[in-house]
Amino acid sequence: MPANKSDADAPSFMNNLIRELRSERGWSQAELAQQLDVSRQTINAIETGKYDPSLPLAFKIARLFGMPIEMIFVPEEE
Amino acid sequence: MSRLSQKQYEWRVLAAMSLYMLCMLLEWPLVRTATRLSIKCLLALVPVVPMVYVIALLARRIRASDELEQQTHLIALGIATAVVGALSLIGGFLSIANVVMLDGSILIWVFPGLMFCYGAARWWVARRYGGNMFCEGDSALGKYLRFILAGGVLLLVGWLSRSSLDALRLGFLCGAGAGLVALGLVLAVARRRHQDAGE
Repeated sequence: MPANKSDADAPSFMNNLIRELRSERGWSQAELAQQLDVSRQTINAIETGKYDPSLPLAFKIARLFGMPIEMIFVPEEE
Repeated sequence: MSRLSQKQYEWRVLAAMSLYMLCMLLEWPLVRTATRLSIKCLLALVPVVPMVYVIALLARRIRASDELEQQTHLIALGIATAVVGALSLIGGFLSIANVVMLDGSILIWVFPGLMFCYGAARWWVARRYGGNMFCEGDSALGKYLRFILAGGVLLLVGWLSRSSLDALRLGFLCGAGAGLVALGLVLAVARRRHQDAGE
């Protein structure tokens, strides 16, 4: 789950398991970024909960990890 | 469109800016001595060529960016446009009211002002998304080194041109150069402290 966010951070509405899934496979953020054709900063922003990916990117992530999208991205509880 | 690496992008911008400075130092003085209007126009617009190349590089970089990078670029450009637009309005109205005396040469500062505001805004927006200014990625030079190098180049240019520049331009070159070097040193200290805190 992403680290606690402050008010200065960009708002996001989803939690995700990307860091855990990435670690299980022994991938670095740079390696995951390369596989998804995005920057390492984007992966870092998604993992820390500062950015919610677009639908195409979310589906790309789900396909890469071989899991349903709703098992990777979970709405943040209010 | 293929994506330029950070290193490729920076070297190309550096080459274009170096060409621009060479134009201003060596070619621009010829504008004043040219008598024919067509030649005068041509010589006056030569420095625009490397600047248009820099704009094309920026456009290419934004087009090849991923979704978060594009969002960051566009928010930063929006902020920069708002700031420079507001300043232009303020300066324009003050000039019309004869409160400040501005001639047409002030327009040459619109693009550098826009790029400066864009850079600052992009840094701030990237921070909100967890961007780390101390993560150099594949940059050819550390950020602090780039500021020190740029400041050093301005100081060198000022020194070499000191006999041909008026006091205002010489003062601007020296002030801007010293400011960039000072900023680079501050960033170097901050980077060192960040690295020490991470150990």
